[in-house]
Amino acid sequence: MGNRRQFLQQSVGAFAGFLAIDSIFGRAARAASAITTPGSAGVRTLVVVNLQGGNDGLNTLVPYGDPSYYRVRPTINVPAGEVLRIDSELGLNPNLAGLKALYDAHRVAILQGVHYPNPNLSHFRSTEIWQTAAPERIIETGWAGRYLDTAGLPKSDLFKGLAIGPILPKMLVADATDVPTVEGFRMGTFGGTRSEQAHADQILNGSGTSYPFQSPYLSLVQEVEHDANASANALPHLVAGYKPAIQYPTTPFAQGLNLAAAVIAAGVGTKVIYVSLGSFDTHTGQRGTQDRLLQQFGDGMKAFYDDLAAHGLDGDVMTMTFSEFGRRVEENANRGTDHGTAAPMFVIGGGARGGVYGDHPSLTDLDFGNLKWHTDFRSVYATVLQRWLGVAPEPVLGASFDTLNFA
Amino acid sequence: MLDVSRALTEYGGPWDTRLAAHLLRRAGFGGSQAEIAAVADAGMQASVARLMHPLPDALPVAPDGDISFAPGPPVDPLQRRNAIIRTQLWWLNRCLHSMSPLQERMVYFWSNHFTSGINQKGITPQMMVDQYTLFRRFALGDYAQLTHEVSRDPAMLHYLDGIANRAQHPNENYARELMELFTMGVGNYSEEDVRQAARAFTGNTVDRSTGLYAYNPRWHDDGIKTFLGQTGPFTGDAVVDIIMQQPVTARFMARKFLRAFVYDDPEPELIDALAATFRASGYNTGRAMGVLLRSNVFYSQRAYRALVKSPLEVAIGAMKMLGANEVGVRTLGALGVMGQIPMQPPNVAGWPGGSLWLNTGTYLARLTYLRKLVMFKPAAQSSVAMMAMNANMPSGMDPQIYASPASHLGSPEMWVAGAVQNDPVSVGERIVDTVVQGDATSQQSNDILHYLSTDGVGNRVALSGENFEEKVRGGVSLAMALPAYQLA
Repeated sequence: MGNRRQFLQQSVGAFAGFLAIDSIFGRAARAASAITTPGSAGVRTLVVVNLQGGNDGLNTLVPYGDPSYYRVRPTINVPAGEVLRIDSELGLNPNLAGLKALYDAHRVAILQGVHYPNPNLSHFRSTEIWQTAAPERIIETGWAGRYLDTAGLPKSDLFKGLAIGPILPKMLVADATDVPTVEGFRMGTFGGTRSEQAHADQILNGSGTSYPFQSPYLSLVQEVEHDANASANALPHLVAGYKPAIQYPTTPFAQGLNLAAAVIAAGVGTKVIYVSLGSFDTHTGQRGTQDRLLQQFGDGMKAFYDDLAAHGLDGDVMTMTFSEFGRRVEENANRGTDHGTAAPMFVIGGGARGGVYGDHPSLTDLDFGNLKWHTDFRSVYATVLQRWLGVAPEPVLGASFDTLNFA
Repeated sequence: MLDVSRALTEYGGPWDTRLAAHLLRRAGFGGSQAEIAAVADAGMQASVARLMHPLPDALPVAPDGDISFAPGPPVDPLQRRNAIIRTQLWWLNRCLHSMSPLQERMVYFWSNHFTSGINQKGITPQMMVDQYTLFRRFALGDYAQLTHEVSRDPAMLHYLDGIANRAQHPNENYARELMELFTMGVGNYSEEDVRQAARAFTGNTVDRSTGLYAYNPRWHDDGIKTFLGQTGPFTGDAVVDIIMQQPVTARFMARKFLRAFVYDDPEPELIDALAATFRASGYNTGRAMGVLLRSNVFYSQRAYRALVKSPLEVAIGAMKMLGANEVGVRTLGALGVMGQIPMQPPNVAGWPGGSLWLNTGTYLARLTYLRKLVMFKPAAQSSVAMMAMNANMPSGMDPQIYASPASHLGSPEMWVAGAVQNDPVSVGERIVDTVVQGDATSQQSNDILHYLSTDGVGNRVALSGENFEEKVRGGVSLAMALPAYQLA
């Protein structure tokens, strides 16, 4: 596959007939004319990876140069000889070889010691805090949902946001935007005979307004129906022209990234994509579980960026990881770790400036056995919103936060 | 505006098919046309009384066939998979066939409250069967006692690491979720209360050879604990007793009952009123549910179609309506795509429900599944023999069940019983009544009528013996795509 322009023209040509009748492809044509630099279409996408369950930061980015690490992790440590060294103090878990390759190419920013004030140790509440960017109170919309609502994106773009998986994450819950949630390349359609499908289209597009009942969910059901029908009709056409340049691993996580790449390459104005991997909730037998998941993460990201690079899109896609919390500094008696606080985040590709940002939190100066955070995750979001997505962070985050220099 | 003084008093208004179907959707998993008609005839009082008094039934108390896991490593993955399938089917078939639908509905409620997951953290299918049997025993019983029992339940001891909780190294997982999700809710206890409660529960464990509850005094921390302001050498039972003394516990549960059975944003005054009833009854779940299912608020417009059906309600409800006689393995797979693997909630908080059930992906999965179910016809004997050659199939299972969403459905004639068979208007009306009790716009009803009375290119056709079955199947699947069908 050649450069981005060539790719787009090919894929547009592949379903030109469809273009004329469906406005969502207007975006593809605009994207093609907006190309400014080789290897970039100028349409930026943010991929958010949720390492769900609470990923242990200490065994992800290993402070192997600190003897305290081996004291607090007597049985589940990563030996110094095995880490993928970043410097004389820090190294990546050996299962992150894929990520290390991206790091060595200066595509990975590692942000240390990230969390938020008054850490909450509940999976559910802490996940909600990261997804709503609201530690002090419970709110109904997600931070990325608010971004999609306020960024002035074309209303007709169906795939402004995309959640990959069975559930729409709270991060993408918005007041005015319905984000498609898909599990694979083919979404189900109503099917059946032509007559059934035609009548189903009629019904699903919402025929009639005077229902003999009221329900707080009626408008939601109608919207989802309409969008489901429209995006199910559109998705196969969107991804029809797409061929991955490399073989993705067969894990659901990597397959999700493959789908993300296909949608990004379709150039339909997709700004935020959510993918998740887990569960990292390693209360018992941590090494086996976490090592397996980290390998899926690293190999998946490597495949994703290799594929995007081959399509000339790696400069257009930034990936940011988060997890609801890191884990307790001291290992427990079950060769696992309990819920903790601060952990590193990874920002990969796009405008990320490779390197390590912020100090590693102390392993001895602790807060009830947990690491002390020094960087508020909302500063990371603010940076991504302002410098990558190009919008003012305050309306999305509800307050002003310092931006950082990783992007 | 809610009049709280009347909200929980007994409903005395008109009683019709719509309210009968509403009662069966909420207090069961829906009903066939005949069941809805029977409830409509019997009236509210008699119907609720019948629901509140479960009858002994002849349904299997355990899954059919072998649900053991291969002993010790290496575990045979196929045996594990098939044991799980048998166990899930066992429960879904109980939901489909129970003569006491509220009882099984409460099993569903409790399983999404005191969550555990099949095939997770060393939980065996037998432990899940035992846990669901416990939920059935306490379906409408004493919630405080159920909380004591759950604290000793082997599946729970595995799921929330009770088996790793010892005096020498306490594990806080169960203690935390007990307070956060099972009894009081966040903000009503401190991190120190979590640590102290974890100490109190030490000693509870599971015998590895039998898979049953065991108590090991050597692992119990018999020291003094201070929990929620009280001090003593508390055990886990004492901790549960102290939790049950907190007024917030009844309030937490009242909110949960209201959200599960009435609407999901209950007013604080309504929560307080139900909490008072629940607490005064000594945490008698049957008492709270009896008040709720007879109440004005339950039959109010605000409550009608105000909840989003879970995938389980969609699937079991459709099978009841269509007269399915057994749940098939394909339904299990479809439930996963819709976002609800039976007996396996996504995490300890359970399925959050509400708007989170509905997104483009899960919505299409619902439509696809419902259409496949409605279109399902049992395979010919020769195909069944072919299916039986599948090496992955659990031994002794009916191949038809393995390869289908259900084993057998009632006939399309039965779905529209009472309609004039060659009259599309009559058939169309009957379909909209049976599937959504008339809850469609006139245009939607017309769309279905238009489908019934035209061919693929829009020419008028009459309903006849030749196309009747196909048209009814198509019409029913279109009606299942109506917004009302997604709402309970």
